[in-house]
Amino acid sequence: MMASPTVAQAPYARYTDVVMFRDRLLATLRAVEPILEVPGVLVAGSEVPNLLEANAAATLVVSQDVDLAIPVAVHETVKARLDRITRLVPSSDEPSVWVPRPEDPELIEVNFIGLDPAIVEPMDTYEKEDQRLPLMVFGPLSLLTAGSVVEIDGLRIPLPQPAGLALEKLVSDRTGEKGDRDLLVVAGLLTAMTPADFDQLERVYLGLPVELRHQVRSNLSILSLLDARPGMPDPRPHRLVVDALLRRLESR
Amino acid sequence: MTIAERVKAVRARARVRRWEYRQRNLAHGAWARFRAALAHARDAYAIDDVTAAALIAEGFIVDDRGRGLEPPRTILWITAEQAGRLTGARPIALRLDAELLAARCLALVPFV
Repeated sequence: MMASPTVAQAPYARYTDVVMFRDRLLATLRAVEPILEVPGVLVAGSEVPNLLEANAAATLVVSQDVDLAIPVAVHETVKARLDRITRLVPSSDEPSVWVPRPEDPELIEVNFIGLDPAIVEPMDTYEKEDQRLPLMVFGPLSLLTAGSVVEIDGLRIPLPQPAGLALEKLVSDRTGEKGDRDLLVVAGLLTAMTPADFDQLERVYLGLPVELRHQVRSNLSILSLLDARPGMPDPRPHRLVVDALLRRLESR
Repeated sequence: MTIAERVKAVRARARVRRWEYRQRNLAHGAWARFRAALAHARDAYAIDDVTAAALIAEGFIVDDRGRGLEPPRTILWITAEQAGRLTGARPIALRLDAELLAARCLALVPFV
């Protein structure tokens, strides 16, 4: 008996969606290449695990935007390069979010967010006001440090180290579906981390205020009890990794 | 949402987190303590009161991190070998769903 067309077509539809989204993500990053070339700028947020996949396969289901972490020290340098971005424009609602021009609907939105190494607490998050490029400077973003640079077709994409990105997501208060998905991103990161990455995570964790350390452990326990979701890393086979990390952090 | 509104929301959540941290050893922290225990379990079984009492009598360790809930949950740490010998125990998935929360007595097998 032949499979029904609906069932037979589903995997191909998913494959096509993934390939199209990867193309859109990479086209968007190419559109902001002058910004990516500024030393210190990093691609941040949930797209990082997508870009860390082999050949930036981008198979995870995330929102249709990409975050650029802008160290406040290079804010002016970044602003000086904004005129070189021609395929996106600032949103009229929020000028730190750049949206595709109508003739470039294949691109996705770009969020400019501020990174200030002087702060780490969410409570210290502040607005860097600016006529051209205002930024929300999010405290935990300072946990990101420069990691690998992924190169695809000549485009160099600076990514954060996985330990810092995992911690940034674990110290942030997250609620609802978005929160669960962010934790599943952590599951994906944990499985790809090396022993050196875990050592780094522990070192940075030990430098956090006690409340944030508690938040990390609390979010790890939530991650341990999450169910699988389509298009996201399945956390269940990785509960052992979470258990080991949690034990390690609880013992300190 | 403007940046100023987002900053205000982030700070508000941070204030709630601080409040929750201060509650970590009080009644409100019961869920965090319960979750922390479950996170270290490889397998979980729903058991009845009689089985729980028998396991306690055998010397298996009681974990008081289920005591803060209402009604209180009895959590016992057992070995994988012991789990294989349990009669009438029902394996349940380790996720915070209705089935797990309905279990008054839980036998947990640790990863290590």
